Amino acid sequence: MFLLLFPLLPMLLAYPVFRIEKAKKRLGFYALAGLCALFVLGLALLLPAAAKGTGLRMYLPYFAGFSLQLKLDGFRATYALIASFMWLISGIFSKEYLRHGENQARYLLFTLITLGATLGVFLSDDLITCFVFFEIMSFSSYPWVAHEENPKAMRAAATYLAIAVFGGMAMLMGFFLLYLQTGSFAFDALLAYSSQAADKTALYLPSVLILIGFGAKAGMFPLHVWLPKAHPVAPAPASALLSGVLTKVGVFGILVLSSKVLLYNPFFAKLVFVFGLITMFLGAVLALLSIDLKETLACSSMSQIGFILFGIGMQGLLMEHNSLAAQGTFLHMINHSLIKLVLFCAAGVVYMNTHRLNLNDIKGYGRNKPLLHIMFLIGAASISGLPLFSGYLSKTLLHESLVEYIAHLSQHGQSTLIWKAAEWLFIVSGGITFCYMLKLYSAIFIKKPAQETVKTPYMRFSSRIALSAAALLLLLLGIFYRECTIPFATLSLPFVGAHAPAHAVDFLSSTNLIGAFKSLVIGVLLYAFFVERIMVKNGVYRALRPEKADLENSVYRPLLRRISLGMTAISKFFSCMPDLLFAFLKKLLFIPKVIAGLPDYFFLRFSLFAFRTPKEKAPVPIGNRISYALGVLCNKLSQFYQSLKDSTKATTKNYIVVFAKLWEEASTYLKKLSHGLSFSLMMFSLGLLIFMIYMFLL
Amino acid sequence: MLIFTILTPVVLGAFIPFIRFKDRKQMNMYSLLSSILTSLLVFWLVFVSAPSEKLTLFHITAALPISFGIDGLGKLFLLIISVLWPLTTLYAGYYMEHYEKQKLFFCFFTICYGISLGIASSANLITLYMFYELLTLITLPLVMHDGKPTSIKAGLRYMYFSLGGTALAFIGLMYIISYSPDMQDFIYGGIFTWLAPSNSLRFAYLLFFLGFGVKAAVFPMHSWLPMASVAPTPVTALLHAVAVVKSGVFAIMRITWYIFGVGLIEKSFAQYIPLLLAAFTIVYGSILSVKEQNIKRRLAYSTVSNLSYIVLSVLLLNVQGFFGAMQHMVYHALMKISLFMASGVYLLHGASNIRQIKGAAKSMPFTSAAFMLCALAIAGIPPLLGFQSKWTIGLASLSLPAPYPVIAVISLLISAILTCIYLVVPAFNMYFGKPSEGIELHEKDMRALAPIVFIAALALVISLAPQSINGFLSQIANGTM
Repeated sequence: MFLLLFPLLPMLLAYPVFRIEKAKKRLGFYALAGLCALFVLGLALLLPAAAKGTGLRMYLPYFAGFSLQLKLDGFRATYALIASFMWLISGIFSKEYLRHGENQARYLLFTLITLGATLGVFLSDDLITCFVFFEIMSFSSYPWVAHEENPKAMRAAATYLAIAVFGGMAMLMGFFLLYLQTGSFAFDALLAYSSQAADKTALYLPSVLILIGFGAKAGMFPLHVWLPKAHPVAPAPASALLSGVLTKVGVFGILVLSSKVLLYNPFFAKLVFVFGLITMFLGAVLALLSIDLKETLACSSMSQIGFILFGIGMQGLLMEHNSLAAQGTFLHMINHSLIKLVLFCAAGVVYMNTHRLNLNDIKGYGRNKPLLHIMFLIGAASISGLPLFSGYLSKTLLHESLVEYIAHLSQHGQSTLIWKAAEWLFIVSGGITFCYMLKLYSAIFIKKPAQETVKTPYMRFSSRIALSAAALLLLLLGIFYRECTIPFATLSLPFVGAHAPAHAVDFLSSTNLIGAFKSLVIGVLLYAFFVERIMVKNGVYRALRPEKADLENSVYRPLLRRISLGMTAISKFFSCMPDLLFAFLKKLLFIPKVIAGLPDYFFLRFSLFAFRTPKEKAPVPIGNRISYALGVLCNKLSQFYQSLKDSTKATTKNYIVVFAKLWEEASTYLKKLSHGLSFSLMMFSLGLLIFMIYMFLL
Repeated sequence: MLIFTILTPVVLGAFIPFIRFKDRKQMNMYSLLSSILTSLLVFWLVFVSAPSEKLTLFHITAALPISFGIDGLGKLFLLIISVLWPLTTLYAGYYMEHYEKQKLFFCFFTICYGISLGIASSANLITLYMFYELLTLITLPLVMHDGKPTSIKAGLRYMYFSLGGTALAFIGLMYIISYSPDMQDFIYGGIFTWLAPSNSLRFAYLLFFLGFGVKAAVFPMHSWLPMASVAPTPVTALLHAVAVVKSGVFAIMRITWYIFGVGLIEKSFAQYIPLLLAAFTIVYGSILSVKEQNIKRRLAYSTVSNLSYIVLSVLLLNVQGFFGAMQHMVYHALMKISLFMASGVYLLHGASNIRQIKGAAKSMPFTSAAFMLCALAIAGIPPLLGFQSKWTIGLASLSLPAPYPVIAVISLLISAILTCIYLVVPAFNMYFGKPSEGIELHEKDMRALAPIVFIAALALVISLAPQSINGFLSQIANGTM
């Protein structure tokens, strides 16, 4: 049950600490540091217990509508420890870093919430717990990016939020599809399901969607766009956490996918491997071309994440023999976290004093500052993979795993050309890493500044202690690798489903040293011929990256604008539809109107007809109307006939009179006839009646 | 008792214009007290002595009884209304200070409470239909309250749409009566279990859906809702986010689960046409909301979208879907009313545009925190409310045949992204922006602050411990209550 303290305690304490900081400046930072120190201590004590067997578990059946499953095993405990340690160092440093700015209390509030959420993700033992904490972390880290509240920061923060939302939604979609098949979210259940599933192709789509979500947070190409924007604008201690821990949360998710959902799956492994390669190389190139201190470090983060993804891919490809890759991946995660802590804090020291990040402005700032110098040097040497530094160990392990895979392939007689190319890309990326670190180092610590600055205290005592502790840890990890580092790395093996290594790696063997040496040579050559000759013109660093080569500004934002325009047009169309429909229906009212009018119309016609004023007609002089008309006609005809025959003879007969007489006769005759007929009919009926009576009587 | 409860606000509200109040405060107090009294009566009914028998008031004809009864779904709706009404009345006392004709406003507002209770506690379709029509008429003056041309226009459109919708529902009612002349009471699982599915009944269902869909603001019958956001904020908050629109949804739940039954409409055009309409409305409402700059209209479009979540979930026609629908009904009520109230406070201070609330958090921290919380919740950020209900709906949709789960889930996701854009981004801007000039915000009035913060806190509590109401909801969904 006490496992719940790790995520919840910081969140619960966040608001009190916020109030404390508001009431009394600086006190809140002590609270933050105290809490983190407590966590570091607690986790260090729990580590042996957690590493044994199945670790510690916690199950809460009711939490926010879901169940909450936490687990502390070797891997999780180590990473939670690293995260708490980083929060501790960055918390101490931020006290000094933020002393002049505004909104310290807000920074503290969200730093604590993010700490809780991050620990929650690392301890989670089912996807839904993981997702809940992941989303909290995504949103609570927004104020870090937006801390400065200037337009640049707000824009970067908007990008950060957009990518977080998009990634979160893609992930949620993946979860739905995954749940449809597995019916469970617990990591163990997922592993059990996928290991017995015959056909894993159905798991590909959900896995890819979840990969998008976690990859967005990890800074995987092509969703890396937020990294180089957000890290430079955030306060340096926050950048260290963003780059050191938050990206690792994404990596953690990808590890869950590769080791729980699609264990040893070649498709997924190759996918991660390819994107890892692209991210690794692209990040390195971007870092090389940048002339902004923190942007270089941010791009470097992206590149190192590529290395880690490369390792995750190798884990899946090597199947059961992946212990080297697993160790390398995990070690590189730890290394990168600590290295970035040191480097970003060093960059923070520079920024805190100069308020500049452009290499031209901060040129030579580090001269005569031995502590800063040593710190930076340890970080730079470590990230470049110089032998005897910790970065060398993890890179060698990763490299070794690829070499092993190539050997494995050639044993089975398969083509190894592509993998050889990948190996070279790996070495070249390592070389570029060395080159850009050399660029930063020489710019800050070797080159002479435009005007010599007065020597002033540049760091307070507390920060000195904290940062040198971080640097020292890094140094120790590199030197005592047999006693300390490699055992740590083995702790991660059960989580990713790897077996114990078949043989120990001899880090100081000639082949491994030569591999590192190749990278270093490439780096030095690049520095000598590219940076010094091309990038630096007349002692001024030039940004060589073309404006157009920005995925965010040239692709994503225009695309989004287009989509939103299109959607608006469509929705406008649809919102017109009901109105149009109504207009149309109003027009249709014409038909009932016509129909309704028809009776009226007919009635009107009828009434006009019925109530028309009768025409005055000349009374017929003689006979009736028909006889008169016939008479007139006959008169006319006879006149016509006469005119044809002879005109001398005058008309003798008036036919009108004739017909009238005829009609009169006919009518009297008909009258008589009708009387007669009725009389005879009467008689006939009477006869019939008598006849019938007679018949009845018979 | 039940009748008494329904009549209490109607009578008390109807008296308002005839009582001589000393001042404005007294009237506010009167209406607040009457709504609290009613709520207490409702609580008593729901928790202490729920009448198990149906109560028939009178018969319109021998076969058409007007009768009341409280079952599980009715209880849920009663509780939603009765918790939120006194709070909104309190808020209205603050908000309406700047309006004229307050007596009329509070009169109709209080009567409305009774009508809504009537909808919630009606035991058969004809009673529901009657109160449904009454609600339209009673809320009309509230929409047109300020008497400006836009309000009149909005009110008229509201009336046309609603009456047109109920006309469609009336045709459906005739169908029902022809099949079951003695107008049975609502039964979980439907009253037509003895009938074989037939297309004419399905058509009747479709008519009902289109009819009641007007108040549930399903495309293409949605356009009254954004227009009606010109009404005073208490009206938009309570009626156009909760009482009126939810009564549309409630009616759809009633006809789906308590009249027609799942078996009759399952896997036919009567399920799929409304389902597609709802899925379309979800995305469509969100898109329009993104483009809208006026805060209240934006929230209204968001309501359009969110109501369709509920409708979609009901139309999934499984128990989990019904559960999710009720969940979202409760959650959306809480979140949206708080958002509307907060936006009303901004509006009173002159910030009607979404850009004008930038940096508002500095001068009004609590209101902004509530706004932020509800915005995150409505966007579905885990582990807050909206996420849980959307999750349930998404899972419930998986049981449908082939293309429909994908349509449902994708529309949910697109709308979730868009919700983040239209609500969460402004909420973030409240914290990280320079306040716009000429607008002075403050939150000194407890009558506004208390309801907002209380509801937001309630939302937070429920989101952390949803099992408190989930047991209740699942009992309703399974028909055991």
